[in-house]
Amino acid sequence: MLALQPALAATQLTGAGSTFVYPFFSKAFYTYSQQHSDVTVNYQSIGSGGGIQQFTAKTVDFGASDVPMNADELKRAGAPVVQVPVALGGEAITYNLPVSIPGGLRLTREVVADIFLGKISRWNDAALEKLNPRAQLPNLPIVTVHRSDGSGTTYIFTDFLSNVSKEWKDKVGTGKSVQWPGNNTVGGKGNEGVAGQVRQTSGAIGYVELAYAIENKMSTAQLENKSGKWLFCTESTVKTAAATKPNVSATDFSIVDRSGDNAYPISGYTWAFVYESPTDKVRGKMVKDVLSWVTGDDAQKIAGSLNYVPLPPSVQETAKKALAEVKV
Amino acid sequence: MIAGARLAASRRVSGLVGVILTGFCSALAAGLLILILGYVVVQGWGAINPAFLTQLPHPVGVSGGGVANGIVGTLIIVALAMLMAVPVGVLTGLYLAIYGRGLTAECVRFLAEVLSGVPSIAIGLFAYTILVQPFRHFSGLSAAFAFAILMLPLMIRTSEEAIRGVPTAIREGALALGLPDYGGVIHVVLPAARPLIVTGLLLAIARVTGETAPLLFTAFGSEFWELNPGNPMATLAMQIFKYAISPYDDWHRQAWGGALLLILAVLVLNVGARWALRGRAKRS
Repeated sequence: MLALQPALAATQLTGAGSTFVYPFFSKAFYTYSQQHSDVTVNYQSIGSGGGIQQFTAKTVDFGASDVPMNADELKRAGAPVVQVPVALGGEAITYNLPVSIPGGLRLTREVVADIFLGKISRWNDAALEKLNPRAQLPNLPIVTVHRSDGSGTTYIFTDFLSNVSKEWKDKVGTGKSVQWPGNNTVGGKGNEGVAGQVRQTSGAIGYVELAYAIENKMSTAQLENKSGKWLFCTESTVKTAAATKPNVSATDFSIVDRSGDNAYPISGYTWAFVYESPTDKVRGKMVKDVLSWVTGDDAQKIAGSLNYVPLPPSVQETAKKALAEVKV
Repeated sequence: MIAGARLAASRRVSGLVGVILTGFCSALAAGLLILILGYVVVQGWGAINPAFLTQLPHPVGVSGGGVANGIVGTLIIVALAMLMAVPVGVLTGLYLAIYGRGLTAECVRFLAEVLSGVPSIAIGLFAYTILVQPFRHFSGLSAAFAFAILMLPLMIRTSEEAIRGVPTAIREGALALGLPDYGGVIHVVLPAARPLIVTGLLLAIARVTGETAPLLFTAFGSEFWELNPGNPMATLAMQIFKYAISPYDDWHRQAWGGALLLILAVLVLNVGARWALRGRAKRS
């Protein structure tokens, strides 16, 4: 019981939202509570959409989403909101096939769009065989796995698809939840749910944050980027993509489909939200301290160890400036 | 005569078919239950060890850790729900059994009936709307409130039946001995009805212990020790939900372990309910 005492006296801060960032936040806040006996940060990964909703309802101390709040959502929040970039990660296209493909499945950006549009519906489709001549692609239906909840991961992925396919842009568009085309598509709750679905379904293909793919030893696809280079989703290729746009803001944040020899096409930042003038100044100060720590070097080193990309210095600077606006 | 014999034979056949059919369905139902229990035991047994029962969850993807905070959270929330549901449930049952007459009593009975059919997720949403949103805080208390509402119909019904089952002559005897009406109720009727009320309570607890839906927007979950019901809390049911849909093998293992714990708890509660009744059967 003695060991419990510090934890019992601690103030519990609550955050909710993005599942994209959850493996990083989970480890980071675990570490934070070990270093600070007076604060625990309880982060629940309910999805970016849920995070924005609970933040707006003021039931949590901070929210997190992989797409910043838009003008509509900011209006609904009722008071000025400060948005802070807290993490940078890539999205891997992960698949489950009964055969192993030497060197990994190769997909062009257009083929990814066609698969999720339902236009390519079998694994032995001519377009896939042409890209993967050495693989024995099975005669299996393709099951696309998407997010069933409002998701920033979905936003980043559909942002990418809208950039590379006019048909996708016109028919489906970009958003945290969209009307998924295709007949053979299933939903999963959170990045966890999508990874779980892909792992359990032979012939499935889905999009998850890189950490989920790596920790679960799932196969990931090589994508052809805008410059015609074949790239896996890795720390280095996501870092290169982010480096092409050093100045991001809550209104200009997209880093998908960038040109560059080593720029992986699907990645993005996670943003945390706090009110500019928190009603409870004591808690507000604690949240500000936590987020300053999260965007600082120590925590970003943890992010790097979990297959995220540490925030580029320019973005760390953006985060610092944003946090300075919080009045506590 | 021949027609009669034929009739008798056809009756024997239909009787036999009936026996076989009912027997088969009973075996199927019992077999399914045993299969589920057996499957959970086989899958969950390996996960249960001292660390699982005493440690906090580890960060995502780090194997090991346990569900101790979920076990404690569930116990606290269920205990609080009990504190809320028992007085209201027993007193309502008392009113219906002894004092309630006519339209009012019928209305109360009907509403309790309706309440028992309301989906638990709707009750969770209700608790969110009146206890979480206005106070701007997820809490174990709001979860206990939702659980209490779920327990109420069963508490009311069993209390009413228990109290109704106490012969009026006993209550009249207490009055004849000079006890005031409330004295008779408190010292004679309620003690006599206690075993059945306890049974109802145990079944009500068993009913809510495994509930997950109302917790999602009330208790919310936590990865830390949290003994203050004013804060978001971990519960075993939510941990099972979260672990089961995750892609991590170690979390799958722990989800089965948690499911086994919950099933054991419900089993103990059901056996306890039977045991409470047995004492009563012996006396009467």
